[in-house]
Amino acid sequence: MEFKLSKEQELIQKTAKEYAEKAIEPLVNQIEDENRVPDEVIEGLRELGLLCLPVEEKYGGAGAGFEGFVVGLEQLARVSGGVGIFVSVVMLGTSTIAVHGTEEQKEKYLTGTCKGSWIPSVAMTEPDGADPRMLKTTAKKDGDHFILNGTKRFITNTNFAGPMVVFAKDADTGRINGYIVDKFCEGYSISEPWDKLGSKGAFLSDVYLKDVKVPVSNMLGTPDEGFQTLKVTMAMGKIGLSAIYLGNILAAYDEAFNYSKDRIYLGKPISQFESVRNSIVDIAMKYEAAKLMTYRIGYLADNTANKAKLVKDSAMTKIFVTETAVDVSRIAMNVFGSYGLMKDYKMSRIYRDAIVGPQIEGTANLLKTVVATDMYK
Amino acid sequence: MDLRLSKEEELIQKAARDFADKMIVPIAELIDQDNHIPEEIFEALGDLEMFGIPFPEAYGGGEAGYLSYILAIEELAKACAGIAVVISVNSVGLSVINAFGTEEQKKKYMPECMTGKKIFSFAFTEPGTGSDPKQLSCTVTKAGDSYILNGNKRFITNAGFQGPMVVIAKDSETDKASAFVIDKFCEGYSLSEQWNKIGAHGGPLYDVYFDNVKIPEGNVLGRSGEGLWVLKVAMIYGKIGLSGLFLGTAKAAYEEALAYAKQKTHRGQPIGAKFQHIQISIADMAMKYNACRWSAYNLGFTADTVKDPNQLLREAALTKVFVSETAVEICKIAMGVHGSYGLMKDYKIARLWGDVIIGPQVEGTSPLLKILAAGIILGD
Amino acid sequence: MNIVVAMKQIPDLQQVRIRNRQPVLDGVPMTFGSIDKNALETALQLKEAAGGNVIVISAGTEELEDTVKEALAAGADEAYLVLDDELENIESSVSAHLLAELIKQIENIGIILFGEGSGDNYSGQVGPRIAEILGLPEVGYVCDIELEDSRVKVTRSLEDCEEIVRVNLPAVLTIMADINEPRIPSVTQILKAGKKPKQILEVEDIGLDLKGDKKIITLSSLAPENKRKQITVKNGEELVDALLTEGVIRR
Repeated sequence: MEFKLSKEQELIQKTAKEYAEKAIEPLVNQIEDENRVPDEVIEGLRELGLLCLPVEEKYGGAGAGFEGFVVGLEQLARVSGGVGIFVSVVMLGTSTIAVHGTEEQKEKYLTGTCKGSWIPSVAMTEPDGADPRMLKTTAKKDGDHFILNGTKRFITNTNFAGPMVVFAKDADTGRINGYIVDKFCEGYSISEPWDKLGSKGAFLSDVYLKDVKVPVSNMLGTPDEGFQTLKVTMAMGKIGLSAIYLGNILAAYDEAFNYSKDRIYLGKPISQFESVRNSIVDIAMKYEAAKLMTYRIGYLADNTANKAKLVKDSAMTKIFVTETAVDVSRIAMNVFGSYGLMKDYKMSRIYRDAIVGPQIEGTANLLKTVVATDMYK
Repeated sequence: MDLRLSKEEELIQKAARDFADKMIVPIAELIDQDNHIPEEIFEALGDLEMFGIPFPEAYGGGEAGYLSYILAIEELAKACAGIAVVISVNSVGLSVINAFGTEEQKKKYMPECMTGKKIFSFAFTEPGTGSDPKQLSCTVTKAGDSYILNGNKRFITNAGFQGPMVVIAKDSETDKASAFVIDKFCEGYSLSEQWNKIGAHGGPLYDVYFDNVKIPEGNVLGRSGEGLWVLKVAMIYGKIGLSGLFLGTAKAAYEEALAYAKQKTHRGQPIGAKFQHIQISIADMAMKYNACRWSAYNLGFTADTVKDPNQLLREAALTKVFVSETAVEICKIAMGVHGSYGLMKDYKIARLWGDVIIGPQVEGTSPLLKILAAGIILGD
Repeated sequence: MNIVVAMKQIPDLQQVRIRNRQPVLDGVPMTFGSIDKNALETALQLKEAAGGNVIVISAGTEELEDTVKEALAAGADEAYLVLDDELENIESSVSAHLLAELIKQIENIGIILFGEGSGDNYSGQVGPRIAEILGLPEVGYVCDIELEDSRVKVTRSLEDCEEIVRVNLPAVLTIMADINEPRIPSVTQILKAGKKPKQILEVEDIGLDLKGDKKIITLSSLAPENKRKQITVKNGEELVDALLTEGVIRR
């Protein structure tokens, strides 16, 4: 066993950190206010390979694997949770296509994302919820096309051109499959963006599909593989979230640590008070545990041939890290006292960002029953 | 990173697990009742070289590193916390001799303490002063080419077994703390009754009295006056052992709860299948155990690779607090799954409940260790 | 004298879980069949009693090079292996050919030991087949072995009696699971295992063609599902009556 990042992973970490501090940090408030990741940031990430870390090199990706991905994303999300979600969803789209896509699909959509200007999305959830058995979006075979109809809810990056993997029910067979839709094709439209509480920056909206025509060749995987594709997507999303909220914990840690040294009370820095010191150690301890869990899921993703099997472990990691992030934010907030409430302090944003984690990609309670069901099988 | 166990690590883990299943599990309840571990168990563990896993081959050890050590301790502790306590404290003694001992001291004390026939103790805590190094009341006075040791030590594990003991005491002239190795049961050495502690039975705990114990000059460990360095290293390795130990307790609690949830039925259905809150309990335990496991294994790896004692102490303190506190949480959840049955000594979880609370209380309570870690983290 | 023990690499059965009526083998470490370990223990005890060298032979996927450390840690002195990922699920006649070729490379053989059956398929064929190929005597169901110079006295455990036979060496013996309890390897033995001598052969060296259909794929190996009768009883009397009616007990 070896708990050491490779030299390459260390360099990815460093590049992500430096880029985030230099290019994203100055724009963080703008990202928040406009709820949009600026184009120059997207291009910067693309140029440095940070946008497509786990995508294979032959499609223009960095080929850094999922371990490289979590290490890099942690640093980006440390500076901006919104950018973290943006990059994570790109990974979600590319990974879903990479696992079950044909060579042509990969060549077109992965290369178009890594080298071109596309930003992928994945659309599963619907207004009635995220239970795959209750999907109402349908795909009706019509010659060499499928006709898609339905509404998808809470979909990220819908405002960019690029592929969107839409999960829909075959109108004839009732089977669920993924279909690659080119965003902004005929029949594609989106709602106003949702105004999220935190982790802002990645555009989130509903999507309306009205008689959207998709060539048969754009179906992902074979007709009976749809559920496996969905499982891969679910697992990948949780890996991304684990890394994002690990970054959130790291941000809270940095903020609380620095504040405790700068803030003077009764003539000495508050870091001299035992209760504050205790808080810092609690945060450090929780960060270490969350980090090990997250890096381990990256390692596991790189070493598991069938990615659909990652559902249980990725769920456990996601619950652990996102719930820990909320705990840590709360502790860090305490270190700040009233100042933490003020938007002038980064801490207020980190705190708002943290609560997003446990709510999305399956709430903790739902995911725990998923984990338990797997254990009782 | 490479999170697979090597074949060797896997085999060491398996050897410990097989031994525990075959030799310890059948008598674990008896050990708990009698608060006594049969000598044959120690000898058999010695034959398997479970006492010397991380120590150099030259002195009879396995030289397999601290990760392997944690893997083995976890398996043994899963079956019986008391046995793991004995090994963990024995390893503390071996670690400091290994770090500070002269060639002669190493040759004399290390091989015999890896056989299971002699067992190390480490004596620092005192009755009046707790664990504050600045208030030591045990003293040594130089007399010719020996030292004379006087004073009392409290809560000393393994003090009733034959073997060496490292004692931290203050030099009455220089007022500085030094470390010494003595042979237990030498002249002037005596013991209290065993403390009747709440759990981890079999790992015996005594007070120790020194009445003009004569220590040859050659038995100073490390340089005279540098006893606090020895203490620091002992603290590090003690926490490594305890992290493995309470990881084992956590695993045991989780496995007990899982088995119980599958077997206990309510209106014709196992409670694990019927009730969502039981399922959530199981998932919570699995998740927490996983976090503990990677933290503890990471500590083992760190101990094998990191040389800076401050960094290692920080990691060891944080990991010990995290694992032992989380183990208590896991036990509480496992207790919840058992309902009233968990209160009955017929169920293993009742024993684990007494074992697990020891974690956050010993080798530095959690609040104390946090103060210590904060000093290193905040760099002041 | 060299004592040869043939062992088969299988997944650690204790760690295999069944899901959807199929075994889950992902992440399950490889080990040796449990009766193979009894055979190895037998060899080690013979060596301790009369000296000699214990050589493990095995054929399997590349992982075997790592798995064999388990046998070397337990006390085997040397290993002769054939490694090839094509060797998964090979049929008993192929295993017998491969292992027979390995045995031919070893000089001064006294006893060749097998477990009575492998931990996975339990066909029990490889031992007898090898005896046939090498033209050696073979004794099965062995529960005790006594060395007598150039012979061995062997006790065979038959269903309701024990048979004692004497056989000249070299001989092939297939042993029963209850002959002994395998030892647990010590830490330094584990760490030294990787450094013990290993002879590794390729399938080509032996001149066998693995392509084609010389494989056995297990489709299912589950216990038959029991249909429970689900008889409800209210008290002891009814229970006794029910058991009588079902013929489980008799008055």
